[in-house]
Amino acid sequence: MHVTHELELFPEYSVTQMLFTDVKNAAALRKSAMEGQINGALINPAMLVDPFQALVAANKAVHLQKAGKMKTRSLLSEIIFNLSPTNNISEAFRRFGMSDGDGAVHVVTVHPREDMSDVDTILARVEGRQVPVGEISTFTDVPGIKKLYKVTPSEEKCGSLLEAVVCRMAVKDVV
Amino acid sequence: MLERSRKINPGAAVPLRADRRRQRRFPRLPDGNMASDRSDSAAPLLAGCALWKQGAEARIYRGKFLGRAAVVKHRFPKRYRHPQLDEKLTRRRTVQEARAALRCRKAGISVPVVYFVDYTTHCIFMEDLVGSITVRDHIVTTQQSGDNPESLGGLADEMGRILAKMHDEDVIHGDLTTSNMLLRNGSEGPGADLVLIDFGLSYTSALPEDKGVDMYVLEKAFLSTHPNTESLFQQLLNSYTAASKKAPAVIKKLDEVRLRGRKRSMVG
Repeated sequence: MHVTHELELFPEYSVTQMLFTDVKNAAALRKSAMEGQINGALINPAMLVDPFQALVAANKAVHLQKAGKMKTRSLLSEIIFNLSPTNNISEAFRRFGMSDGDGAVHVVTVHPREDMSDVDTILARVEGRQVPVGEISTFTDVPGIKKLYKVTPSEEKCGSLLEAVVCRMAVKDVV
Repeated sequence: MLERSRKINPGAAVPLRADRRRQRRFPRLPDGNMASDRSDSAAPLLAGCALWKQGAEARIYRGKFLGRAAVVKHRFPKRYRHPQLDEKLTRRRTVQEARAALRCRKAGISVPVVYFVDYTTHCIFMEDLVGSITVRDHIVTTQQSGDNPESLGGLADEMGRILAKMHDEDVIHGDLTTSNMLLRNGSEGPGADLVLIDFGLSYTSALPEDKGVDMYVLEKAFLSTHPNTESLFQQLLNSYTAASKKAPAVIKKLDEVRLRGRKRSMVG
């Protein structure tokens, strides 16, 4: 049910995404992620339009880590930060990271190509029901995303919401 | 021919005064430093891509980005420029391109989606408009085939409308040509879906002067690549004027620019 993508630009890494609903141990998960016990970025699925969006964030995070230009302290927090249209780190965590009371979570992990142990750890730790990653759109808060990314009606005419979001994520550090 | 002083002429035998001035500001480094191979820094990123086109400013590769068809625009280092100057210009153009693309998209002008920008190697990864053709090719083939040249009228109207929209957002493209406009796959008909590309020389300005020069550059390029299209270009201008309230001031400036050329002052 999880989806693994290879990063073409960094072939030694893969990105695996997992989506869970009815999560009971959100607070504990968040704590163990912050303590580094699980190697996965915990994202609020309401803020994702498509798995591609998380993939773009992960790709950029790996790139910035290699270039030594990360804005946050770890690769996983950088993934969450990259999703945000602004350069405010704490706001990014608040909006795009999982909160203690959340019932659903989207987990993104970056791992070496052959090594799936991180994925197994996450699957074992999350107390919830795993659903296919493709169902992410049923969790998407479309009005919230439009508001947060400031997507104008005229922009929606020339492209999808996903395109608008990805564009902002890619260009945010120079706007 | 268009004079393009901004794309610096590498072959000038006699150093111009401006070059000498630049050398003073960016003193020449020892040869060993000049030779450090900076062009290879982007090689790992471009491993899975095939070279598609090459210009003076950048190379365009086609490949995949996270499973999607993508083009990569790599601004390679120019050895004929001083490294520091080169780095500055290249960075600025990469940033301008990404920024203008977002600005246009916000205004509802179709531009390729930017997927990822690498400011260390100056690569922009963007959407590949598979099957699209340039407006230039479309006009040439329509003219050659000889069947209903009126069909180009709709295209000229659309071009005028989109450029008016772009100028209303105060985006100056800087290099308007018919090669820098694409027709999305299968939209050659009346409902043309125009996509603007190549914002590397773009900047933002509200001055009618800059917009007038932008249109002048297009006029020169348009009439020199497509002979006998004066009426078509006039139709474009008419549609441009009708689409924007600020257009009359721009057209007035365009008339001025026509008389004197693209450069405002005669100094330098």
